[in-house]
Amino acid sequence: MSALFLNPAHRAWLILMIATGVTWWLGEVGAAGTTAIVALLAIAFAKGRLVILDFMELRGAPLMWRLLLEGWLVVVSSLILLAYWISLK
Amino acid sequence: MQYKSQAVAKPYFIAAIGLFVAQILFGLILGLQYVIGDFLFPHIPFNVARMVHTNALIVWLLMGFMGGAYYMIPEEAETELFSPKLALAMFWIFLVAAALTVAGYLLVPYSTLAAMTGNDILETMGREFLEQPLITKVGIVIVALAFLFNISMTVLKGKKTSISLVLLLGLWGLAVFFLFSFYNPVNVVLDKFFWWWTVHLWVEGVWELILGAFLAFVLIKTTGVDREVIEKWLYVIVTLTLITGIIGTGHHYYWIGTPEYWQWWGSIFSALEPIPFFAMTVFAFNMVNRRRREHPNKAAVLWALGTGVMAFLGAGIWGFLHTLAPVNYYTHGTQITAAHGHMAFYGAYVMVNLTIISYAMPILRGRAANSNKSQVMEMWSFWLMTIAIVFITLFLTAAGILQVWLQRASDTPLPFMVAQDKIALFYWMREWTGVVFLIGLLVYVASFFVGGREEKAA
Amino acid sequence: MTDTSLALDPAEMPSARRLPGDLAIWVFILAEMLAFAVFFASYAFARSKDVEMFNFYQQTLDRNAGAFNTLLLVTGSWFVVLAVQAAHRDDSRAAARRIGLGFLCGAGFLTVKVFEYAAKFGAGISLSTNTFYMFYISLTFFHFMHVILGMVILAILWVKTRQGAYGSRDAHGLESGAAYWHMVDLLWIVLFPLVYVMR
Repeated sequence: MSALFLNPAHRAWLILMIATGVTWWLGEVGAAGTTAIVALLAIAFAKGRLVILDFMELRGAPLMWRLLLEGWLVVVSSLILLAYWISLK
Repeated sequence: MQYKSQAVAKPYFIAAIGLFVAQILFGLILGLQYVIGDFLFPHIPFNVARMVHTNALIVWLLMGFMGGAYYMIPEEAETELFSPKLALAMFWIFLVAAALTVAGYLLVPYSTLAAMTGNDILETMGREFLEQPLITKVGIVIVALAFLFNISMTVLKGKKTSISLVLLLGLWGLAVFFLFSFYNPVNVVLDKFFWWWTVHLWVEGVWELILGAFLAFVLIKTTGVDREVIEKWLYVIVTLTLITGIIGTGHHYYWIGTPEYWQWWGSIFSALEPIPFFAMTVFAFNMVNRRRREHPNKAAVLWALGTGVMAFLGAGIWGFLHTLAPVNYYTHGTQITAAHGHMAFYGAYVMVNLTIISYAMPILRGRAANSNKSQVMEMWSFWLMTIAIVFITLFLTAAGILQVWLQRASDTPLPFMVAQDKIALFYWMREWTGVVFLIGLLVYVASFFVGGREEKAA
Repeated sequence: MTDTSLALDPAEMPSARRLPGDLAIWVFILAEMLAFAVFFASYAFARSKDVEMFNFYQQTLDRNAGAFNTLLLVTGSWFVVLAVQAAHRDDSRAAARRIGLGFLCGAGFLTVKVFEYAAKFGAGISLSTNTFYMFYISLTFFHFMHVILGMVILAILWVKTRQGAYGSRDAHGLESGAAYWHMVDLLWIVLFPLVYVMR
């Protein structure tokens, strides 16, 4: 069990599996509307960040590269949020 | 020069420059016909002048590509050319075929030319840029195959570098996609669909590989940066080019009878086409900045840097301007297209040809670089031609915007010819700028005949 | 490191701040991600023009298959990161085995996707059916091609790792390929909720 916490990859994998389940469950219960959209985007953002930091191993990379990849996540989720916000109006 | 057989490149380069001059002269005739409609009529009507202008461009660029490949491949493969005799024979066949074709365009009506050259056997003529008579097209295929055979055999018997592989991929692609010029279905949608496989996949696909390979070669030679570094860049650029360029074909498929999804595919992927060009610019400057030697041929380095910048502006930025489907809805086939065409062809393919010629010609004439005097003249011609093309592009863009506004976006749209009259001022300015371009070109040609103290032989 | 050139050898950089893999692959990854970003945004904005249609046809997608595929890609990524760690410990055998497992996850993804496509195409759905399906097919197929490319890369890495090409001294090639594989995962993590779930 301790290995799970020592190796960031194990931890990331476990969280990613659970988070995927949550996304799936939100779909099953038919969650819709602002809260659901924000929740789904937040989960996707957190998952993406784990992949970038612990799978791509950019946690210890030069700051520019972390910012580029994480910035991509920020830009993509903002654009999606903006488009969905427009559609809710 | 390192290998004797590289010398076959020389006649190709000379013929290329000769055709370049012809192309520009016909461009000036054409530009004048925009404002003086019956200039030289009926001897050289507009459609003929246009055909000569565009065909001469394509042929001289191909001449330059072939010459460049004949120069580059022996040096990269570190062996003599497979058959210099074949290369020379093909040069004469190509040159004579090109001359006969142009003579045919100028001397007899196009329909007569079509009847004379067996167009009824296989109908391939009458389509923009692919106007060549059937026998010329067959001739191009034979020359291209002999050329490919020659350089592929050279690479096979010698060293296989990444740069020559990228060049070979580009040249083989060029030959393969030309085959679609023989396919002319009756259905006009299918006709256009496959017509672009030659036209688009040439200039926004395989030609870019040739461009990348030439640029990489000249940069290795002039900067002394490690081959490994340059090859890595080349790979990135090539992959990006292919991804964006191939699916980007979709930006020609808007509203011509093809399915609607092309509007999305075309818009999204072609919007990314500037990326490889941008990478090329960064690449060229980066390599020159970290150069490990001062190459005496300053002019060649200038052309290489110019290629990076102008290709990005002309192909990247001016292409992006009207590549999105909703924009293209208004700009399709206006002077915006002409503006993009001029700067993209000059910035990418004219300049890369002049880069390789500028680097190779002095060596072919037995010196590392031309005299200082000659190089100064060449650099003058660089600036004259480049600035002229920038202004031609700007004037045509202005003309195009006005044309869209008057003829298409307006609530009371004007007829085509009325709108053309209203933008005549821009056509005049374009014509005068074209004269400046011609002066630049003449200075360029003159720079070959200027003596002075030369750099020692390489 | 603020130098964006490809000339700097990552091995020369101080170990404190190190970009795993080759600089060239990261430039390439960024370009790929930009393409997907444009695609994702296009989907979202096209949807805002016809929300009801998008919501209606989204219901016809196989969410279970999509979620299961996420698990496969995440697990595949996990195996590959463990392979890189093994290579850094000079354990080429473990590294190769894990790359193989990652490859199998990719193969599983493709299999599920093929069944999903078969059901959709069998129902007569094509790119021209409507804008939603146009995006669904284009986006997932574009991603599908990336999974295939990622698996080709993994296959090459598997062969080279078995030959002992990567170790604690130099694992750049492995790290580069792994980074690409993780990108395929990252893209799906956005794609799945966006196209299959979010409404």
